[in-house]
Amino acid sequence: MTRRTFRAMGTDIELLVDADAATDELDAAEAEFERLEAILSRFRPESELSRLNRDGAIEASADLARVVELAVAARERTAGRFDPTVHDALVAAGYDRSFEEVEDDDAPAPPAAPAGGGVLVDGHRIELAPGVRLDLGGIGKGYAAERAAELLALAGDCLVSAGGDVAVRGGSWPVGVETADGTLTLELTRGGLATSGRDRRRWRRGGREIHHLIDPRTGEPAETDLLRVTVVCSDAVEAEVVAKELFFAGSSAAAGSDVPGVLVTRDGRTLLTGALA
Amino acid sequence: MANHTARLYAVALALVVFFVGWAAIAAQPWAPTAAADPRLQALNVRAALLKQRAAFISQVTALRAKQPAAAAASPAVRVVNLPPLTVTRTS
Repeated sequence: MTRRTFRAMGTDIELLVDADAATDELDAAEAEFERLEAILSRFRPESELSRLNRDGAIEASADLARVVELAVAARERTAGRFDPTVHDALVAAGYDRSFEEVEDDDAPAPPAAPAGGGVLVDGHRIELAPGVRLDLGGIGKGYAAERAAELLALAGDCLVSAGGDVAVRGGSWPVGVETADGTLTLELTRGGLATSGRDRRRWRRGGREIHHLIDPRTGEPAETDLLRVTVVCSDAVEAEVVAKELFFAGSSAAAGSDVPGVLVTRDGRTLLTGALA
Repeated sequence: MANHTARLYAVALALVVFFVGWAAIAAQPWAPTAAADPRLQALNVRAALLKQRAAFISQVTALRAKQPAAAAASPAVRVVNLPPLTVTRTS
């Protein structure tokens, strides 16, 4: 078993591969994260995503076009519970720079910026309606985890973890999930896993605690009785979308989901869903 | 008769010697070897890289094809009593 850890996309990345010598594949997987961050980061002024947000329309790379396409499809599938157009709401809430640089601020937060608005993907051409800007933070990490796992799988069975987003290829992987009172171990042999929650990436604005999970329907940090949601889906991209969808839905609705998941409520309960229940 | 045959052989031999000599002179073996064109060298390097990339993509494609569609679509997960290899947190 070989393990490599590094920082990318504002989070800790972990690569695990069932092989003794996999330097080339590990290098390729790490480079893939760096390559995709350079395309998908909204914090890098020279990234393709920043150019799209500035200009409103670009001929994009295959990767940006694909991630935007996946995000728009997720918006339709979840009836707007997942929406990549929350960019301005995140900025209004104070998350306008890499999270390490976000600071508490006593000034009141400006009014919420509503999400929604036209996003058109036609081949490699992406066009945004006037005033629409995209944030691909979570779904971008899931996508990068999947792409890196593809490269790493050339060396053997592998797991790629990008913060809360996990992609596996072959083998069986015990993955720890934080619950209300400890850690639950899930053995993952196929698919992807994602965790979304309000327990990290928090800051204070105008005397109020703010977190990064913006409810697209209100443009405000989501008010929900859930602290954290972990789900297992067909891949890390889908898991990222479903985790957010269930988080916004709240524990009553999310508990009825048939997706395998672990819900942790703010009052300290842990609920299992789908095949884990 | 014998002289006639000998003459024919001599003519044929002379022709062969003539053309071999011509070919040898046309090849200009004394000329210095021209320096390789750097653009050609760059193209050769690029071609080698593209071949390497193509082989790599073929490997990834083959790996994807090995995964049955139904299996890839459904996750497989269960709760176990094992120490975790990694712990997932809010991203």
